[in-house]
Amino acid sequence: MISQRKTHIYLERQPRFNDMMLSLKATARVPKGMIRETEEVVALARKFTDEVVRPNVSNLDLTMHSDPEYLDWEYVKKANDMGLYTLFIPRALGGKGYNISSMAYFLEEIGSACVAMSNLVGVHYLGVDTLGATWNARLLKRIFHDVREGERTGNPCLLSLATTEPNAGTDVEEVDLVERGKIGCRAERVKGGYKLNGMKCFISNGHLSTWHIVIAYADTKKPAESVVVLAVKTGTPGFSFGRMEHKMGQKACPASELIFEDCFVPDNQVGIDPEQMRKLSRSPRETYQQMIDYVVSTSRACVSAFGVSVARGAFEQALRFATETMVDGQLLINHEWAQVHLAEMYRNVLVGRLAYEQANYANDLYGFYKWFTWKPAFYFLKYVPEAIIDKVIAPMLDHPLATWLLRKLQFDLQTDAEFHCTSGWASLAKVTGTDAGLANGRLALELMGKAGVRHDQRAEKFLRDSKLLQIYEGTNQLNRINMLKCFIGSAHPEIRVFDEEG
Amino acid sequence: MIGLLDENLKPVADMAAGFAAKELAPRREESDKFPFGPYYDDVLNKAHELGFFGVTLPEELGGINMGLSALCVILNQLGSADASLAAVILANSYAQELMLAAGAGDALGSITGKAGKLTDFLIASPLFANPAEENLTLTATATKKGYVLRGTYDFLVLGAMAGHALVPAAMEGKPGYSLFLLHLDDSAVTLSNTVFTIGLHTCPAVDITLKDTKAVLIGEAGQGARYFDTVAPRISIAAAAIAAGIMRGSLSEALNYSATRVQGGKVIARWSELQTILAGMSIQTQCAELLVSRICGLAEEASSGWEEYTEAASLSILDMACPLTTDGIQVLGGYGYMKDYGQEKRFRDAHQIKTVLGGAPMKKLRLIRGTLKKNGVLAS
Repeated sequence: MISQRKTHIYLERQPRFNDMMLSLKATARVPKGMIRETEEVVALARKFTDEVVRPNVSNLDLTMHSDPEYLDWEYVKKANDMGLYTLFIPRALGGKGYNISSMAYFLEEIGSACVAMSNLVGVHYLGVDTLGATWNARLLKRIFHDVREGERTGNPCLLSLATTEPNAGTDVEEVDLVERGKIGCRAERVKGGYKLNGMKCFISNGHLSTWHIVIAYADTKKPAESVVVLAVKTGTPGFSFGRMEHKMGQKACPASELIFEDCFVPDNQVGIDPEQMRKLSRSPRETYQQMIDYVVSTSRACVSAFGVSVARGAFEQALRFATETMVDGQLLINHEWAQVHLAEMYRNVLVGRLAYEQANYANDLYGFYKWFTWKPAFYFLKYVPEAIIDKVIAPMLDHPLATWLLRKLQFDLQTDAEFHCTSGWASLAKVTGTDAGLANGRLALELMGKAGVRHDQRAEKFLRDSKLLQIYEGTNQLNRINMLKCFIGSAHPEIRVFDEEG
Repeated sequence: MIGLLDENLKPVADMAAGFAAKELAPRREESDKFPFGPYYDDVLNKAHELGFFGVTLPEELGGINMGLSALCVILNQLGSADASLAAVILANSYAQELMLAAGAGDALGSITGKAGKLTDFLIASPLFANPAEENLTLTATATKKGYVLRGTYDFLVLGAMAGHALVPAAMEGKPGYSLFLLHLDDSAVTLSNTVFTIGLHTCPAVDITLKDTKAVLIGEAGQGARYFDTVAPRISIAAAAIAAGIMRGSLSEALNYSATRVQGGKVIARWSELQTILAGMSIQTQCAELLVSRICGLAEEASSGWEEYTEAASLSILDMACPLTTDGIQVLGGYGYMKDYGQEKRFRDAHQIKTVLGGAPMKKLRLIRGTLKKNGVLAS
């Protein structure tokens, strides 16, 4: 009917078919084994939530009210004992190798009881992903080995991502902004490594983490061209913790200050730096943006899942209340207005989940997980015997060729259109899921009336927790602009973002 | 708000603003820790010395009798810095007005006129609920010496700090509910721990259990709803005044922050998306202040049909306060979510006030059903 060439032209026209029909493409491409894995992690999350999270949510939140600097090591140890900190690390790197897309569903389950406790697991993978996005095979192997050892010995080894600075929040989320930002965290090249100075703030799980993946800059006047990703271990001379923030919600997950004063970081803890970036096909500035997009394309899908989890938790409490409470002689659930109210809350949950599913699909097809979800690679990594990993694959990871190959595949072969697709969907998911979380937190209180404001009725916490989700991993305003840039900007070269006059 | 009210109230507004700046704002984070930290009794006592707990109370009953507008001005100014104290004053004023509406001035005077310390002056009440919209959980039984109450009541505001409580109870053979006054230090009263809530932590509530607790009937038996309907429009204006104060505080904090915080190479107030957010906040705050001023005037003039207008306006203001305080946090980004600024508390307080005093769906249904009954669509 239409020639192949014309079909292609029609499908590339805005809105691009690949943007519109992502799930149609993905369902044919992703391995069936991913479904089984996702079922397993959701079941595990439900078990963990029933046994560890739900019994402690209320007490932990109250404890945090009375002592905002309390660190719940006991919970972290239980998560560690259950193997949650290696769950989504590839087997070849010492983890259990569950597909990373399933993490969002996993986090939603825990977050529907307590998003802060879900984050105590989830934000570890923000560090994992950021380190992963350097595609530095030797460093990945080393640090993930520590995580596995932490699991084996019962001493949790968590990762954090340290990027936000006191004077740069939104600025560090976009290369276009960072070059105009007041950047303070400097990595000075010295013999054998870098000397790190500056402060990071709002670092989730900072006080609980062993390794900190620090985003620093060799030249703070030209940060866009000089990003340096460093792995700094707790206890390193020159590195200390500052205050823990006193937050409105998500209290159990600490937000920490990290202070670096002439902190020496050796070369073997450099994830990537401008020197290494110059060996890639893109400029350091473009590679930096690509790294940001790799990280936020995965992390924003997970933050969307957090939003959905809050929306779901608020819905579940409102539903419980409506089925237990008599109003004017009949159960609240049988009042028509309440039914519509609850249906709207349920809709928010489902739409939010659909949005982060799409973001996952984008990552499966074009982003972080592209090569891991390619069927031959997926099944090889899933079933390759441990002995071969230990004797063949692990030693290969130490060879510079492994890093070269990973970077070739992940940096050089990824097209701009691909990372625009993943980044755009991640932003859409982040905004949709987190707005759903806040909306349902509010709707739950409306439905429940004065019972809703009581802590013991388990709804108000969801509202408090939800607000932070609209702020971190890029404010929802920033994410809306990113959606415009990624989805619409490619067809409209006249669009310039973050470049407003005035 | 103050600019639109009687000039005579400016000294009152200034006094309340000064008090808020000196006593409330600097201690906001610390006082918000209650019940996990100490209660700010000293602040309450200073507010009492200034007459804040008897603004609408006649002088012969120990008040300063300055009227609803003065009360709203004070609540508005306090609410801008920290709404919790304003809520304490509101809760106490509600109980006082309810007793006056029931013709129980003598009983009220026996409390307020003789009280030495503040706790003796305060009266706990179910401020956050219209008893007619709830299942009655207390029952009153007549005895030779008066009445005794039995049952439980959830969310008695100021219950842990007041000397007396005014509660609704069902009486056998009487439709609706009646109001009763009881001593909270009676051994037949059991108080729960402070109910921990999303906001207004220093305006605490408790759940109470009564076991044949002696109580005095306030007003006529079965007439509680009539007294409530008399008082509710005035109290809803006062609640709206607090909400408008919260909005003003949130807007001021957002304006100050956005004028100094730099992102993308310029102060964030110069980005047009942020200006759009600030514009929305500013418009809503000014509308809220205008509405509070106007409905205060309507109430004091007792214009025909003022009650319906004031309730509608109050509900609208309480509805506006929640999204506005959400934006108030968003402007400050991560800092807005932390206790260092007042934004996160304003968010929590606004949601508590809106949820329990404002736009709960049942309240809106009651309003429209009243209209439908007047129009003959629903049976009276």
